[in-house]
Amino acid sequence: MTTAASVRVIVAGLGYRNLRDHSVGVAVTDRLEREAWPPGVVVEDLSYNPIAVVQRLEDEPADQRFERAVVVAAVERNGRAPGTIVAYRWDGALPVEEEIHRAVTEAVTGVIALDNTLVVSRYFGALPDEVVVVEVEPAIHEFGDTFSDVVARRFDTMCDLVMVYATSSEAVERLPRAPLGGSVLAGVTSI
Amino acid sequence: MCFKNLPIEFDAEGKPHLRAGIADPYGPTATVPRGVPAQLTSGQVEELLKRNGFIRELDFDPVTRVAGALAFHTVADFKARKVVEARSMATLFRGYEVIMVGRDPRDAIYITSRACGVCGGVHSVTSAMAIEMAIGCTPPPLGVLVRNLALALEFLYDHPLHLHLLAGPDYSSAMVRPTNPGLLTRARTTEAPHADVHGFRRIGDLMDDLNPLTGKLYLEALHMTRVAREAYVLICGKYPHPQTIVPGGMSSTITLSVMNEMFTRLAQFFDYSKKLTAIWDDLTEFFYAANPAYKQVGSRRANMIDSGIFDHHEAYDATYANAPAWGDRRWATPGVIVDGELVTTDLHRLNIGVEEFVDHSYYEEWSGNGQRQRFPNDPVGNPLSPYHPWNKVTKPRPQGQNWKEKYTWDTTPRWDRQSMEAGAYARLWNTAVARNLPPNPFIESTGTSLKLRLPKGALPEMEIEWKVPAVWNAFERNRGRAYCTAFTALVALNNWLAAMDRVKLGDTRTSTPFEMPKRGEQLGVGFWGAGRGYLTHHLVLDRGAVANYQIVTPSTWNASPTDRWGQPGPYEEAVLNTPLLEETDDPKQFKGIDILRAIRSFDPCMPCTTHIHSDAGVITREVNTCACGADDDGG
Repeated sequence: MTTAASVRVIVAGLGYRNLRDHSVGVAVTDRLEREAWPPGVVVEDLSYNPIAVVQRLEDEPADQRFERAVVVAAVERNGRAPGTIVAYRWDGALPVEEEIHRAVTEAVTGVIALDNTLVVSRYFGALPDEVVVVEVEPAIHEFGDTFSDVVARRFDTMCDLVMVYATSSEAVERLPRAPLGGSVLAGVTSI
Repeated sequence: MCFKNLPIEFDAEGKPHLRAGIADPYGPTATVPRGVPAQLTSGQVEELLKRNGFIRELDFDPVTRVAGALAFHTVADFKARKVVEARSMATLFRGYEVIMVGRDPRDAIYITSRACGVCGGVHSVTSAMAIEMAIGCTPPPLGVLVRNLALALEFLYDHPLHLHLLAGPDYSSAMVRPTNPGLLTRARTTEAPHADVHGFRRIGDLMDDLNPLTGKLYLEALHMTRVAREAYVLICGKYPHPQTIVPGGMSSTITLSVMNEMFTRLAQFFDYSKKLTAIWDDLTEFFYAANPAYKQVGSRRANMIDSGIFDHHEAYDATYANAPAWGDRRWATPGVIVDGELVTTDLHRLNIGVEEFVDHSYYEEWSGNGQRQRFPNDPVGNPLSPYHPWNKVTKPRPQGQNWKEKYTWDTTPRWDRQSMEAGAYARLWNTAVARNLPPNPFIESTGTSLKLRLPKGALPEMEIEWKVPAVWNAFERNRGRAYCTAFTALVALNNWLAAMDRVKLGDTRTSTPFEMPKRGEQLGVGFWGAGRGYLTHHLVLDRGAVANYQIVTPSTWNASPTDRWGQPGPYEEAVLNTPLLEETDDPKQFKGIDILRAIRSFDPCMPCTTHIHSDAGVITREVNTCACGADDDGG
């Protein structure tokens, strides 16, 4: 780490294990858990029921709540080439209540997805104000423990990005604010 | 005689055999069940739609607030205010049976758990039971007790979740206001009889707190799921996919500390159960009093099946031969109810009466065409149908949707060729009527009811009573589920006390060592239950590998399509019997709340949300189909 963290940060991987590209979020946190982090940075796999994620985040003592979340996952979005990495500061905009209720239903019935986790945990006030999302467009949706070539090639970059956004407030501030999914402008080519 | 449609008779010792002189005893032309509502033919529906402007199609795709992917097609007569056609569609393929073939059977404990994102543990245990029956391995008493506790805790997660997150909003002021404003007005001035227990003075207050996202009951249910989950992970490691289920018991380490930690959480459900039952008693009676037609919402024959659950630790020996004996000593008695009457509690009879058809499902037939029936008998020589799960082969065949041909990924399980319903309430009903409960201080089976004595908490000690209902409908399903929360908490208490006795004696062994057979063929079946009721895994082992694996879940029964005799599945039948009581004459304003209440009362769990395999890859969340585009060519 080149920059000491001055804020409490949770680095959260999201995804399903053994689901090829859709495992990339947890693969990132599996690797980063082994790194030496400055005090205040916690690396965890949060790939479970988003209501339980809310409850886990709320368990932090009131004076030690996380101030930044860096969330990493593979997400299928329309119009992106496989392997595209997008990083952005989530603007925190929530959908209409009916959609939030649907998200909670999906949460308690076992769906694990980045959008769902962020919407549910934001709605219930468990997320820190600052949420950095690092997502990659997956190429393949299949059982297995290896990534597609295109995602495998981006894996190290994803890990590097997450490390930077977990430890550098300056780097975070350079990111655009964007709704879920980010935007083309938020695409990352260098850090 | 428990079978009326299958040609099975019993000798003087009660041993079943096929009636003599029938060339094709399980043929499709065997006796047709009588007295069941039939669907209109597609041609009749089409004619009605053409001739009458007040008859319209009404599709729910997806049905929201259920687990997994379910779509529902109806044709409603807005003049007569009834449904004339109902079609239940499971819109995803559940491929676990295919995935399992050729694997080490122990993989099933972990793989089949992924069939459900709510209650994976029930699949893990059911697969462990199927394996231990196949290989001959009996868990030690504490292993059985801890297994019971784990599953009880899973249900204590499941029932509040359904009652106040999934079904509850159907009775909230947010939903009643736009659909039945007159009802809400009445609720605002109706005193709640059990206000002293649940704390809501008027029914309207109660409805307000059932509102999604903001209602206190909604939020409290979210919290209670945490309490149950915390207790569960103490003995299972993870939720919803446990890591400590093994053939022959559990791999958990059980100490006094673990037991005490578990109890502090379990005890919270004693008071919570008092509240839940009081709430659902008050809601149900309010709706009945406001309009007796609500008794028809979701109504159907009381035809139920339950495989029983919660083994007695001194009775369970994991053998098929003794299944009727250990089944009868379960805390929740297995059984089959036909038209409200308990016809058997015998696990052999329950098992041999089960058949699974695919006439309207996206699968190919596996029997017929001269193919040999692999198992004409079960392991003790009782007759088996070629459509029985041990004989079934899963042969998926995706194709277009057509009401006359195929329209769902669900199969059509039938018992004695009758459409049966599964649910937590079937557990209550069997146990109440059979009077087979082990002696205990908390639960009493009277023959017509279950008396449940809930210990003192913040609320005083309380005896509540679930009575076999006179009518069977959506409200009674929800009320039953509330009482089943109390029942489950008390089963857990009994098992916790027995487990403490074992631990105090120093008997902390929770599993029995085993070896997997490398030769020969073995059969096993796990008779267990999900929060939503009946669950079986039928296993065929061949030289140590899985040769066949068949899962029948509660929603396989409940969401099943119309069968080859024209007999609708339980969701379909319940919706066909549902009057449309919304206070609007404008079909465009119609929300279908009564239809949705009927469907959701079953607690649908299309067990495929988590990881589904299709030709195109793996699907991790539901996709929607368009029922409106069904290719329906009449008939």
